[in-house]
Amino acid sequence: MKSVEQKRINIMGRKLLLEKQQVEGIRHYDVYRREGGYRSVEKALKMQPNDIVEEVKKSGLRGRGGAGFPTGLKWSFLAKPDGVPRYLVCNADESEPGTFKDRYLMEFIPHILIEGMIVASYALGSNVSYIYIRGEYDWITDILDQAIVEAKENGWLGKNIQGSGFDCEMYVHRGAGAYICGEETALLESLEGKRGNPRIKPPFPAIKGLWGCPTVVNNVETLAAVVPIINEGAEEYAKIGVGKSTGTKLISACGNINKPGIYEIDMTISVEEFIYSDEYCGGIPNGKKLKACIPGGSSVPILPANLLLTTAKGEKRLMNYESLSDGGFASGSMMGSGGFIVLDEDQCIVRHTYTLARFYRHESCGQCSPCREGTGWMEKILLSIEKGKGKLSDIDLLWDIQRKIEGNTICPLGDAAAWPVAAAIRHFRDEFEWHVNNPEKCLTENFGLRHYADAIHVPV
Amino acid sequence: MIQFKETSLAKVKDIMARYPSDKQKSALLPVLHLAQVEFDGWLDAPVMDYVAGLLNIEPIEVYEVASFYSMYNLKPVGKFVFEVCQTGPCMLNGSDDIIDYIKQKLSIGVGETTTDGLFTLKTVECLGACGYAPLMQFGKTYREHLTKQKVDTIIEECRAKAN
Repeated sequence: MKSVEQKRINIMGRKLLLEKQQVEGIRHYDVYRREGGYRSVEKALKMQPNDIVEEVKKSGLRGRGGAGFPTGLKWSFLAKPDGVPRYLVCNADESEPGTFKDRYLMEFIPHILIEGMIVASYALGSNVSYIYIRGEYDWITDILDQAIVEAKENGWLGKNIQGSGFDCEMYVHRGAGAYICGEETALLESLEGKRGNPRIKPPFPAIKGLWGCPTVVNNVETLAAVVPIINEGAEEYAKIGVGKSTGTKLISACGNINKPGIYEIDMTISVEEFIYSDEYCGGIPNGKKLKACIPGGSSVPILPANLLLTTAKGEKRLMNYESLSDGGFASGSMMGSGGFIVLDEDQCIVRHTYTLARFYRHESCGQCSPCREGTGWMEKILLSIEKGKGKLSDIDLLWDIQRKIEGNTICPLGDAAAWPVAAAIRHFRDEFEWHVNNPEKCLTENFGLRHYADAIHVPV
Repeated sequence: MIQFKETSLAKVKDIMARYPSDKQKSALLPVLHLAQVEFDGWLDAPVMDYVAGLLNIEPIEVYEVASFYSMYNLKPVGKFVFEVCQTGPCMLNGSDDIIDYIKQKLSIGVGETTTDGLFTLKTVECLGACGYAPLMQFGKTYREHLTKQKVDTIIEECRAKAN
């Protein structure tokens, strides 16, 4: 037992991506290089591309954009027909409400992304790689452009990188304000200069992606994580964390907490520790109580305080893929993108859910009718309940609509729009009913905490 | 006659060089961003036609893209555009109050421009900076942790710049 405790202490708080965040000037090449930057490229260029893919597989790294798909496996699916270019595209279209971790990495440590992308480009055989960044991050585009220029001037990009014979160019491509372009096939459409309408899969991008060529699309944090995996080796990387949640994860914490910001965690800490410890969120302002939380970006199910801190089995819930989803949608949620949104006792679940429904209505590309029409209906019904003009049957209607969207669309935006509404009704139905039954009062008062933090009865 | 400045034309050339020679349409989004900055903050039909010509694509290919993405303005906007985020995490931190305050202070509604042509107020969905809420996009960057006092200061800055 002691050794397990010991191991936890040794690696607790281990930082891999943000280790150097406090070093002055780390944004710039000279400082970044002095601090050990680009070592992974030196190491990788001496390896066989396939061995790098194997290394990433062994590390257990899972996509950090939200889906959590094993990165090495995704890379191994890439088709390699003769004479056809292959592409690596970085998904920097961060726009899942609650998520702002990629922005932090790109703004303050841009070279870690460039470095990870060079290694990945070499492993995948991509001679031209793109960073698709959300249009609103205009100033970060300049920071990345500058980092690319610096990398190129120092021989890490361009022709015959470090004498290896490998060529790679890298470009930043700015989107223009569409959440849907975070979906990888919509992103590729957008990169081709079209509307961001997701494509029907298959074919998957690994077979037919950018301009019909084999393509891998990876999130910013995923590609940055390749750097420590190569530097330290897959085995060392996989020792951090627990189970299938290896390595570290960036969490962007926001909402009603004392210290909103970006935290790198090793996925062994509890949700409770994450919210209340001074090392992380620092608790809830003004001594208020925790009411609810969306632990992984707006699309994942919201949980009331009691189910957030403890699973339905009565175990402490941890900040990792397995524990956050323990209990399925009935009593669990998901790690998602790591967008951690905290709601205090004075927040209104109906209003919050309404803003999310409005978001998804605004961001639906309009291609599939269940999503295009359904998101609009959900927004309208939620607004009417919020304004005290709803009927009890509206709650069932909402449930019915979200069921009809889920699973019936080309891309996962439909599911992403349905899940928050479903979870809000599943766990906070009495708050919705209270709005309907108290049409005047709900305009001036909130339902409050009620029983949402009460201990859960655990069946023996 | 609509025409980019020489420096912008050079940028267009640079952008086009990032994509394979038969895939120049890929340059559309970045070139539209350039066009919007250069031509008064919005994309009039003749501007979009001009961009179509530069990229050797049909005007409709530009219209359908410009109308899809929320960052392209298809009607004139004020000299300064406030794009206030209103999604969940910002709402939890008082974005509704900030939006109301700007409306009242500038006597305009959402989507409107002040009569002097200086300010436009827009509400937008998640800007990806939820930890710094409430916030707005203001030109190239964000203004974060907004308060009524900060809004006052920004408005004063703008007025001073306009004079």
